[in-house]
Amino acid sequence: MSLFGSAPSAPSKSSEDIKTALVQQLQQESAMNNARALIGKINEHCYDACIPAPGSSMSSKESSCLSSCMEKYIAMWNVTSRTYISRVSQESKKMGGDASALVAMGTGSS
Amino acid sequence: MDPQTQVDISSLSDADKKELNTVLTNEAQKSSIQQAVHQLNDVCFTKCIRGKPITSGTLDRTEEACAQNCVERWFDTQMSILKHLDVLRGGH
Repeated sequence: MSLFGSAPSAPSKSSEDIKTALVQQLQQESAMNNARALIGKINEHCYDACIPAPGSSMSSKESSCLSSCMEKYIAMWNVTSRTYISRVSQESKKMGGDASALVAMGTGSS
Repeated sequence: MDPQTQVDISSLSDADKKELNTVLTNEAQKSSIQQAVHQLNDVCFTKCIRGKPITSGTLDRTEEACAQNCVERWFDTQMSILKHLDVLRGGH
């Protein structure tokens, strides 16, 4: 039973429907978390790089710097991701096929 | 919260529970990898890109090589730390 109650006429869902809904929600939230982390990092770096002295409005030079910076950050994210994943699978092969320890190693407590 | 997401998990079949469990494990691992990549990219962007003006939205040859080296050396660092830790513990 949900906290705020559900509509009394809510049709009972099949196991399949529930599962599909849960998987969908899980993937959506995961994608959202990833996007949020990316946006946060981009803001941090690109604000620093492109707006060293904030004026009373954003100049066109600043705004084009931000666009470039953002594209550069994402391009680099893809390189980092590719390199990281290939190194993880390489190392895990050496260690007998268990990648989970290596994956856990890379994540800080943040 | 979205009302359609409030579901009764107990009405799931065993097979669906199992499948859900697999999906969950995979998503958790994917999430860990993404987090690690975020953290690494943060460090490597600082090392490889920052300190010079940003003039284009793409990575040039040097920057791309730097990005790859940055990840590889980070890994080497982790490995070397683990190895030395083992030595410190009196391992072999």
